[in-house]
This record gives sequence, C-alpha cells and structure tokens, in this order.
Amino acid sequence: MRALKLILGLAAALGAHLVGTWLVPDLPRVLDLFLVVVVLNALDASSLSGLSVGLGVGLLQDGLSGRLYGLHGFADTIVGYAVARAGQRLDLTSPAAVLVTVALATLLQEATLVVLAYLFTDPEPPEPLWVLVQAVANGVAGALLVSLGGRIRNLREVSRRHRASKIRL
Amino acid sequence: MNERRTTWLLVLVLAVQLLLLAAQVRSEGGATLLEQTALRLVGPVGRLVAGFFGSAEDVGRSLRSRGELQAENRQLQGRIETLELELFRLRNVEEERERLAEALEYTPQVPGRLRPTQVVYLDHSSWLRTLILYVGRRTVRQDEPVITPAGLVGRVILTAGSYAKVQLITDRAAAASAVIERTRRQALVRGGNDGLELDFVPLQASVEPGDRVLTAGTDGIYPRGIPIGTVVKVGQGDELFRDVLVTPAVDFAMLDRVYLLERETVPDELKENEAGARP
Repeated sequence: MRALKLILGLAAALGAHLVGTWLVPDLPRVLDLFLVVVVLNALDASSLSGLSVGLGVGLLQDGLSGRLYGLHGFADTIVGYAVARAGQRLDLTSPAAVLVTVALATLLQEATLVVLAYLFTDPEPPEPLWVLVQAVANGVAGALLVSLGGRIRNLREVSRRHRASKIRL
Repeated sequence: MNERRTTWLLVLVLAVQLLLLAAQVRSEGGATLLEQTALRLVGPVGRLVAGFFGSAEDVGRSLRSRGELQAENRQLQGRIETLELELFRLRNVEEERERLAEALEYTPQVPGRLRPTQVVYLDHSSWLRTLILYVGRRTVRQDEPVITPAGLVGRVILTAGSYAKVQLITDRAAAASAVIERTRRQALVRGGNDGLELDFVPLQASVEPGDRVLTAGTDGIYPRGIPIGTVVKVGQGDELFRDVLVTPAVDFAMLDRVYLLERETVPDELKENEAGARP
C-alpha cells in the first residue's frame, strides 16, 4: 500500500511537473514536486526507505533536467535520509511541521546542488531570493498535501463509522 | 537493517554517485574529471619517487673517482665541440634556406619552441604505456608533441594542474604520419606489440632495413622531420602492403628529460582525420 502510494505520488508529481513546465517554463524554479514527494515519503519511513526513495526520485528528476546525471540523485539521497532520521526523532505530522521540514529540505537540497556544481560543472549559484521562494512554495505544497491527506482520511473514517453505525434490520 | 548499516549504505551510495558525476564531466580537452583527478593524485607521487631516485643517482655520481670525472669531462668537451660545429653548419643551412624562401616567396612552417620538461613517471613496457610529465605552471596544450634529441616520444593527451599525460608513440592507440627518409615514401606508423609498425607501404615500394623513418608533418599534430625510428624488418604482408617493423629512435628506458614542442597547429575545423586515436 505504501509503495503504491509512493508510485502514485511520483506519477502525479511527474505529470504535474511536465504539464506545469509546459505551461510555465520557470515552474521548476519555484516548485519542486519531486522533492516534496521525497520528503513526504521520508517523514514516517525508515532511513533506508528515505535514502532509496530519494535516490530513485532524484535520478528520475536528473533524467528530465539535461544537466549532469546524478546531481539530484545525490542531493535527494541526502535529503531523504536526513528527513527520515529527523522523522524518527521528532513529531512531524502536523501541517506546520511539514511546511518547515519541506522548506528546510529544499534549502539542504539547493546547498548540496551548489556544492556539486562547484565541483563538477561551471558553477552557477542560484539566486537566494528564488531559493527562498522555492523553499516556501515547496513547504506550502507539502503542508497542503498533508492537510488534504488528513482530511481524506478523516472523511473515510467518518464514512466507515457511519456505515458501521447503521442498524441493519 | 540497522541504522549503522544504513549509514554505511548512504556513504557508499553517495560515493558511487560522485564517481558517476566525475565520470561524466569532461574538460575542454576531452578528458574526464576522473582522469584529471587521477593524474593530479598520481603526479605528485611520481615526482616524489623520481626526485628520490634522481637524488640517489646524483649521490652515486658524486662518489666516483677523480680520474673518472676527468675522463668524462674530456669526453663531454669533445662532444660539445662536435655539437658546436654542427650548430654552426646548421645555422648556415638555415640562413641559406631563409634566403631561398624569400627569393621564392615561400612561407615555411615555423618549427616551434622547445621547452624542457621533467619525466616523473614512465611505464613504457606494460600495456598502459604511460608517461607523466611535470610541467609546473606553464600552459600545455592537448596534442602538443613531446620529443627528445633522439626523436619522437609522443603527444600530450591530458593535462591536470602541474602534470601532463603523454601518449607514447609506441602505444597501440597511437599513430603518426610518417615518411621514409631515403625514398620519401609516405606511410603511417602505429604502436605495436614489438615496437612500431609502418602501415600502407605498397609492395612495389622500396624499403629496406636501416631506412630512417621521420614524421611527415601531414597529420596536423607532429611537425615534419622528427625521427621516429629505423626499419628493422620488412615482410611480405598481405596482397597490397608490406609488413614493416620499425624500432623507435628513442630509448624509452632511458627517458629522463623530454621537450615539449610548442607550435601553431592546424585548426581543428580544417582537420578531416586525426592521426592517433584517443586512449
């Protein structure tokens, strides 16, 4: 079930990324849905799961980016592992906590990409303002998705109880 | 899987990805970052070893007797006189050539400038056939020819920091346009298992053991007239060409100092084929 959710989430992120980029070419600058998927998965997952999902999603994103293959794979591996470890020690289930976590994960990812760019490619430091914008946007997207997921779970629970409470004659 | 193993797995995954990234990055010269990094790591170690053995040789030389030193001194004096006479003769030849070139309105190719360079690592016998030079802060171009007074050594294929890697002419992937001095027959010399092989010499062409082989200057890398080697064996070959074996002019086992030949090369956009495959 968890794997299915991950795959669906990834497919949705990929679809939204492709459509969004077609509509707004600068969308990846503002919103990184792949990273949001990595972080949301890692919040209540093991370190191994966080690491693995980060690696897979990052490499998938690299296939779309046209830059060196493995940049996002490297960065998202670190992010997935770090968030999973944090999730094992802290309560990160509330939307506010998710917003902060995703925002910090975005900053960690950008910092890692900058270091890799200096090592392997012509360094092109991102503009700090856009990094902050992306961090906030990712955080908001993550918080919204968690809230939405919570509401859906609540509705399903209510519906289940409603069905269970009906007296069948 | 416990956390410690997961941490080690993380380190391993990140290391593999770094290698993957390094393997993809190519510099302007076509070398990967991995190759450059390896050269930067190997170069200083090789220089350290070369310096150690060089110092040991210096100590050994200083322990020789006075008589031996005097004999060597006389020998070197004689050689200097011979070289000075040769230099005088060549200067006259050069002046005459310039006068003739001016009269004919002919623009000769500028031979280039020689820069002495230290050899820090040489492996000429294994399949690697690698030579590493210490070039210091000087700029070294890719494909810059490397020679000694005896003849052609190879060309620079990779530079990283203060070090340059040279593809020896005896490398299996190396090739150069060549000409047989006696007959001016053009051919292609390639590195082989037992020395150098001279390809595309037709059956009807005259070639015999003892013929000197020089660079033809038509491959856009090596200038004309650098000794490559001497023909040692001529075989029947196939239906069209002979099997010609050439022994290199340079004794690679005795390489200590070589020279980089700085010269203006043929622009890449004018080259159709490059002699000498990339390693």
